[in-house]
Order: sequence, then C-alpha cells, then structure tokens
Amino acid sequence: MKKFDLIRMALGNLWRRKVRTVLTILGVLIGTASITLMLSLGFGIDQSYRGSLERMGSLNVIQVYNYYGGGYYMEKSVSVRGSGGGGGGGDSETKKLNDATCEEIEAIPGVQAVLRMLDTSVKFGSGRYVAWGQLLGINPEAMEYFDFVVDKGRLLTENDTTAIVFGSDVPRNFYNPKDRRSNWWGYSQDTEPSVNVLKDRLIMTFDMSYGEPQHSPTEGKRPKRYHVEGVGLLSWEGSMNYSWYAIANIDYVKKIIKENERMQGNRRRNQETIYNQIKVRVEDLDEVVNVQNAIKDMGFQTYSLNDQMVEMQKTSRVIQAVLGGIGAISLLVAALGITNTMVMSIYERTKEIGIMKVLGCLLKDIKNMFLIESGLIGFIGGIVGGVFSIGASVLLNKFLAPALMGRMGYGVQVDKISIIPSWLLLAVVVFSTFVGLISGYSPARRAMKLTALTAIRTE
Amino acid sequence: MCHSKYFEIIIFRLQVIEGSDNPLQEVVSVKGQKKDAEENIIEIKDLRKIYKVGNETVVALNNINITIKKGEICCFLGTSGSGKSTLLNMMAGLEKPTKGTIKIAGWDVEKLSEKKLALFRQNHIGFIFQSYNLMTFSNALENVAMPLIFKGMGRKKRNKAAKEMLKAVGLEDRINHRPSEMSGGQQQRVGIARAFVAKPEIVFADEPTGNLDSKTSKDVMDMIVEMATQYNQTLIIVTHDLSVSKYAHRVFHILDGDIDKIEVCS
Repeated sequence: MKKFDLIRMALGNLWRRKVRTVLTILGVLIGTASITLMLSLGFGIDQSYRGSLERMGSLNVIQVYNYYGGGYYMEKSVSVRGSGGGGGGGDSETKKLNDATCEEIEAIPGVQAVLRMLDTSVKFGSGRYVAWGQLLGINPEAMEYFDFVVDKGRLLTENDTTAIVFGSDVPRNFYNPKDRRSNWWGYSQDTEPSVNVLKDRLIMTFDMSYGEPQHSPTEGKRPKRYHVEGVGLLSWEGSMNYSWYAIANIDYVKKIIKENERMQGNRRRNQETIYNQIKVRVEDLDEVVNVQNAIKDMGFQTYSLNDQMVEMQKTSRVIQAVLGGIGAISLLVAALGITNTMVMSIYERTKEIGIMKVLGCLLKDIKNMFLIESGLIGFIGGIVGGVFSIGASVLLNKFLAPALMGRMGYGVQVDKISIIPSWLLLAVVVFSTFVGLISGYSPARRAMKLTALTAIRTE
Repeated sequence: MCHSKYFEIIIFRLQVIEGSDNPLQEVVSVKGQKKDAEENIIEIKDLRKIYKVGNETVVALNNINITIKKGEICCFLGTSGSGKSTLLNMMAGLEKPTKGTIKIAGWDVEKLSEKKLALFRQNHIGFIFQSYNLMTFSNALENVAMPLIFKGMGRKKRNKAAKEMLKAVGLEDRINHRPSEMSGGQQQRVGIARAFVAKPEIVFADEPTGNLDSKTSKDVMDMIVEMATQYNQTLIIVTHDLSVSKYAHRVFHILDGDIDKIEVCS
C-alpha cells in the first residue's frame, strides 16, 4: 500500500467520526497547552532572575580576592595534603595577588580580560569645594570589558596619566567646608552638584585635612597636591558598581602612592604591588565555572554573580519540573483518551478490518493505518495546543505581568512571565505525536491480530 | 438442462463483447495462450477440520480430496452446517485445516504466514460475499478500487480499472454512490466488480445470491459466470441454492463434511 493512500485512508477514518476526533484532539490540546504554558512560566522565572542579576553586573565577571583569614586557608591546605597524598598539595607560601598572578590568570583559557584594581583614599578639591573620594587605579585597556559606561566624556586610554573618570555619585560629594549648610552627607539627588568635574580645575591629594578649617597634625611632610583632569563621567545605570569611585590609570596611581610613601619616610624600594581585588571577565558564560575553579585552585577566594545564577537556576529547575509535571498529568489523561478512542474505533470497525484482510491488505498496513490515525490525533493536538499556548502566553504577559510587576520587589524585573522558545513548540508537537503513536500502538496491534474470519462474520 | 443454460451464457457473452470495446480482451487472450487450460489450479488432499466446542468435538470436514482445473466453474452445494463454508474458508486461508493439504496456484495455503496469505489473496483470489461486505463509508469506485490500493497501485491507474469494472457490471452511473444508496442487486454487482478488478485466477463466491430475489439472483449469477468465463478464471461457488448450482461445470454435493457425490454437467 502506498504511504499516501494510507494517510488518506487514516484521515478519512478520522473525518468520519468528527465529534469523537475533535474531542480527543481537544484532550491533547489541553495536555500540550498545559505543559507548554507551565514550562513557559518556568522559563519566565528563569529569565527574570537572569535579568535582575544582569542589572547587578555582568554574569561573565569573576571577582578574585586575596585570602586573608589564615585559619581557613590552613585548614584547606591540610586537607589538600591529606587527600592529595603530598603530590603538589598546596603551596607552602601563600600566593599573592600581584602582577605575575594576574598574568597567570590571563593565560587561563576562556579568560577575556583581567581588571587590576588598586584603590586608595584621596581628597579632591576644586575652588572652595572639597570631596572625599576613593581613587581606583585600573588598567585602561580592560575598561571596555567591565561595565564602564560613560554618560559624558570618554573612558581612559593607556596613555592617560592625570586623567580621571568619575563615578556617577562622586560629583555630589563636593561640599564647602566653610559653609555650615553644606555637608558631604547632605547632598541630595535633585540638586545640581556644586562642581562640574569635567570642566572645573581639580586638585587631588592624600592630605585628608585638605581644605578643612582645622588642619589635623600630620607626621612627616605634607602630601603633595596633584593637578588632575576629569575626562569622563560614568552613567549610573551602566556602571552601578563604580559609582563611588574616581578612576585613573593604574600606573599613575602606583606612581603617586609610591611618591607619597617616600615622602612619608617609607624607604622600602621596589615594593611589589599587591591587589586587594581583581576582576576577571570570561568570554563564554558556560566557561565561568571552569575559570572560577581554576582560580580557586590557585588559592584565591572568588565570587561571581554566576554563583548566584547557578543557585537560582537550581531553584527554577525545580519549579519547572513541578510545573511541567502538572502539565504532563493532563497529557497523560489525553493519552488515555487517544487509546480509548482507538479501541472504540477498532470495535466499530471489526468488520471493515476483516474485509480489508480478505481483500489482501497487509497486516503491517492495517497496523500503520491505526498508528497514523492516533499519531495524527497527537500531531494535530500538538499543533493546535502550541497555537493556543502562544495566544495564552501573549495574554498572560499583557495582563498578568504588569500586575505582578510591583509585587516581586526591587531587583526582580518582570517583563514577561511566560516565555515560549520556538524549540519548545517544536518539542511539544514532536512529543504529542509520539504520545499519540504510543497510545495507538496497542489498539493497532489488536486490530492487526483480528482474524479475518471473525471479522467478516460480525454483522 | 445444464446444456441449455450454458448455451444461453455463450450468447450473452457474445452480445457483451460485441456491444463494448472491452480493452481487457487482449490481456485475456494473451493469458489464455500462455496458461495451460488443463492445469490443476486447486489440489486438496485428505482435508480434515475438527472444531472443539467445549468438551465436544465437531467434525466439520471429514476427508476431502478435490482437484480443480483452471477455468473451471465449480459449485459446492449443501445444507447449512454441511461444512461447505468451512471448506471455502480454508481454501481462502481464513482457517487452518486440522489435517491435509491445500495447494492453490502453487501456494501451500495451509502453511502460509499471515503476510504471505495477504500477498496470496492480493494476487490470486477474489471474494464475493453473501452480505456484499462493502465499505459503507466509501463510494462504489473506492470500493472496487480497494484491492488495487492494497496492491500499491497508483491512483489514476486503479481508478481507471475500477471504472471499467463498474461499467462492465452496468453501474457506470453509480460510481459516486455509497452502498447505502444502492439496491441489494447493485451492491452485489459492486461486490462482483471488486472481486474481479485485480484479475485474480480464482474467485470465491460464498452464497452470492443469498440476499437477493430470484430475478436479481439470475442477473447476478449470469454476470459472475460470464466474467469468470471471459477471463478464463476459476470460479468456486458455495451455495445451498439448486438454481445457482446449475451454472457450474461440476457440482460437489457436500453432506456432513464429506463429498456425497459429484455431478458433472457439460
């Protein structure tokens, strides 16, 4: 029998019992639509988690800290020795977060850039106004990889020395120490900052009493004053993590720190710079965990938003499994419906099957005809269910998402609560067709095994 | 008696052939030349069938030995319960014998697997039933084309063959009618067209006139015999109706599972 004829006959048989076919398809529709919608809610939760994390910073970034608390480290190194059998079991000397280490980390496969961070407290002055600030030295070439987004001006380049890019909150810190109404803590978001950091002349110094009415006595020489130039202002939204920093080229920061130490009488030469913290950007999100483990193995403490992401993903997997399970139950019921329809159909068509056999229809054609019928029920149900879920998903996003928007609290962004990826639709149609075939298998075998004789005797 | 009837058929046949440009004629003549007319197409040896009903055993067929030649028209005549239908069912491979062998067109029917049986039926057998057994949801054309569908014939080709067949049984104006829209005689003629459409070597007819009145019975029987003769096909008729048996070359009287006597007419 030709495949086309088989399908045509199967369609004809379904068409003959329209009401029953439609009802069975309706069952499959409900089953597939509930699976799709439940899973789409799971994806929506996943997406909003991810969205809110991404607003906190890039998921690809790993923060690396020096290990301080010796106790924990000791404990760890002992345990490593115990299990590792001595073979390379931990360095006897604690590894330092210095330039050599940074280069080592840069060499780890998958690492895109390393941001070296050296920070120190400074004071800024401009005319009558002063501001306490945190000067952050970074390597400018890595800036583009680490969420530095300028609102005005430009980012740093490698040749910059006295150029400074300010975090969005820094300009508001300027106050007039001689004016009682103006305080560094008294700034308001609404008022314009007193100093335009991009235009006004700026002075930077390690002298914390600079500009204050009463100079606190300091040992040694008074720290030098540096003329610096504001070249950029970061946007608040794009660079939330750097809003309190004044950012300069790391070479320049190293230079002035050394200069200051010398002036304060610290004569140790060529002292190595040790960073409190560096940031590592990984090119591929999937590589984050590997790179993070590699850095941990070097003996550093690490943290990345990806850690949180992994936890959240675990939670949302559970939610998806539970929701998907609820949907699966309704598809199971639909599968029973298909089996029932097919069994009924075989009882009704006993005679017909017998005639077909006597006329020389192959058993495999009879079986296939029934399988095609049940498969078609699953297939059509899957497609209609998919279309239905797309519609329902659009409605959910339009009407339910805004209502939920306010309830999830700060940091959780709710754009869409239901997301249906196209692969899910495809998978659901394939799955429901498969369910149809499975449900129809035993009835089809039964039809095949009917003997032609009893079949034609049935009146 | 037999003689005059047969004469009538020949005249009828001549009329049909003259009256229509039947394209199947050529095929038939070629086939007739190739095949040996004296060839034994059915050989039944020591056939026995016993049913077990509860603790009792019922002997449906005792010991049957029959040889039938190609192109022969045979009739199994007997009362109900004589075992004639059982014999037919076993020849068509619908039932397995308890003992004995059935050889039809070179196939050992009793040994065939289900799949081989289907192929055997597709290629060698046509079936005419008492209750027509048409597909109620299909029209006349689809019903007649059905055996060709199972053979895997393309749509155009099989519809053409089915139309010719329906024309031959005089139903060209009923092509799109469903069985429920036709009289018993018309339905049986669709059944005949279906049995002959694949040009089988053997056609089994199980009480073909059982549901028809005497006038229609005669028309139907004339048609069956005429077609079988035209294509040199072997026709096996099972009936309890004496008037039907008169169309046969040989009549096997079946009584209590045995051949009581064989009547030869020609």
